[in-house]
Amino acid sequence: MSIELSAIEYRYRDATALAGIDLAIESGELLALLGPSGCGKTTLLRTIAGLEFPDRGSVRFEGRDVTALSARKRHVGFVFQHYALFNHLTVFENVAFGLRVRGWFRRPRRAELERAVGELLELVQLGDFVRRYPAQLSGGQRQRVALARALAVEPQILLLDEPFGALDARVRADLRRWLRGLHDRIHVTSVFVTHDQEEAFELADRVAVMNKGRIEQIGDPETLYTHPANPFVCRFLGEVNELPAALHARWTGIDDERVVAFVRPHDIEFSAGEGGARVEQVRDLGANMRVEVRHPALAQPLVAVWERSRFARSGLAPGRSVVVSAQRQVLFRGDEPVDAAERAGNALRDILVTQH
Amino acid sequence: MNAVRLPSNALRDPWWLRAPLLLLALAFVALFLVLPLFAVFGYAFEKGLDFYLASLVDEDARAAIRLTLLVTAIAVPANTLFGIAAAWLITRFSFPGRGLLLSLIDLPFAVSPVIAGLIYVLLFGAQGLFAPWLAAHDVKIIFAVPGIVLATIFVTFPFVARELIPLMQAQGSEQEQAAITLGAGGFAMFWRVVLPKIGWGLAYGVILCNARAIGEFGAVSVVSGHIRGLTNTMPLHVEILYNEYQRTAAFAVASLLALLALATLALKQLVGWRMRRATPADGNRP
Repeated sequence: MSIELSAIEYRYRDATALAGIDLAIESGELLALLGPSGCGKTTLLRTIAGLEFPDRGSVRFEGRDVTALSARKRHVGFVFQHYALFNHLTVFENVAFGLRVRGWFRRPRRAELERAVGELLELVQLGDFVRRYPAQLSGGQRQRVALARALAVEPQILLLDEPFGALDARVRADLRRWLRGLHDRIHVTSVFVTHDQEEAFELADRVAVMNKGRIEQIGDPETLYTHPANPFVCRFLGEVNELPAALHARWTGIDDERVVAFVRPHDIEFSAGEGGARVEQVRDLGANMRVEVRHPALAQPLVAVWERSRFARSGLAPGRSVVVSAQRQVLFRGDEPVDAAERAGNALRDILVTQH
Repeated sequence: MNAVRLPSNALRDPWWLRAPLLLLALAFVALFLVLPLFAVFGYAFEKGLDFYLASLVDEDARAAIRLTLLVTAIAVPANTLFGIAAAWLITRFSFPGRGLLLSLIDLPFAVSPVIAGLIYVLLFGAQGLFAPWLAAHDVKIIFAVPGIVLATIFVTFPFVARELIPLMQAQGSEQEQAAITLGAGGFAMFWRVVLPKIGWGLAYGVILCNARAIGEFGAVSVVSGHIRGLTNTMPLHVEILYNEYQRTAAFAVASLLALLALATLALKQLVGWRMRRATPADGNRP
């Protein structure tokens, strides 16, 4: 089932939680809402669920206006950040809840209910835990119970609020892959909220980056990473060096328009020589090495992250003088990206060093 | 798991400080709690078992017991419903006047019960505000059963709400939201999610409310009129007997109240114990 949000505005007391959100989610898509805490992503998710009602704008499911419809009538599966499992009920009863509260005529018979719940618990690999209570389960298991419970009512839309937020790193990575696999099997339109860029990229078909109640950019991970719409998106998608640079027009000869070059740590290159830069610090991150370089023209040290083997070959060490260059970079003039055509007609000068 | 944790050794006082403190506490309990309890039963049985039983099956005594049970049977369910509604309103919604409602719930604790009774007399009494209307419709509230019920409801008003508000605040509303997204209606949500969550706390509040409803004296005394066999509750009956120098009969009825108090205490311990056992089973916290 597709979801269309148009011009959603939501004020919470004096603060604007959502400032005009337009978003179209295709049927069967898995979309991530990514942003820093307080950016409005959870409010947006709750608005889709009918747990919050926007001051302005409309919510449509498959073209049908549901803006005024309560959560009870939207038939949306919602997985809460802290699971919100019913503590006093067993795993089986938690999952069966949505079926038991149906109206008299739509309520399944006992055998049918047991079959449906059993199938769901098999799906989330909790077949052996039917008689347990939530308090007797691990975090990852509780998360899967919450998921099975939401799926029991056969929703056309599944919403997940920070689904992996309360889990430790290993379980989180496993569960994420498992959830992606599940989505590929059942194809229910899904939206999840996260503040973790890696999580959003690994799991989602498309990612909407949010900031201060707005969507800054929406697209597939590749597009977001290579063509960020503005400096906020670029900064939010991982560590980045911001280097002053200038554009020099090849044809007209007009010179020196100031821009900022955003360069990822793994796109930084060093070569031996006197470039004014000096290796200040090397940190071992395990698979990678993190190199900090001090350059007299920059207030902040420049950060490079290299693979271990590449670092070993380079022979870099603290105190060495180096020449810095960038393999690739994204240019911004103020908040606007410098587009490709413009790039082609100009030479980039003075991002400390030589250019490719 | 949630048993009372003894303080660590570092906080333990020397014996010469502990011993007198302990003795003082025990002496206090003996003098003010245990001794009166024994005295009640001692006086009640001073003329033998036959007289004791005769005092209880006396026409007026039976009427007083009946009235007390009737008043309790109305006041406790009324305040249970009110308490749940108020706790729900206060913990789940934000509205203007929420703070005021919260303080109003505490009012019966703050006001002397006698004043509470007087207010009802001033409103519904013979010279009261609503007197002409009540007289015209032949409704009698003061010096009648409705007045006693009203006064009791007023005095026992806060017990259930006070018990539920902190409990529901601590539990939060996420499970209720989950129930709604799963399609549960208001009644199903209350019955299947809210009630099991607040169950023991509710029972605790109802027990306290019940104990107070049975034992209330001040407010009821003002509105009752002390009409024997008609508007006397058990505590009032005890007072009348005592004032008429029927000491043994007074203590016999009083012993019944004391037994009820002991039963309440035992029940309250049991429920409190169950409640502490029920709370740590929270599967939503890592």
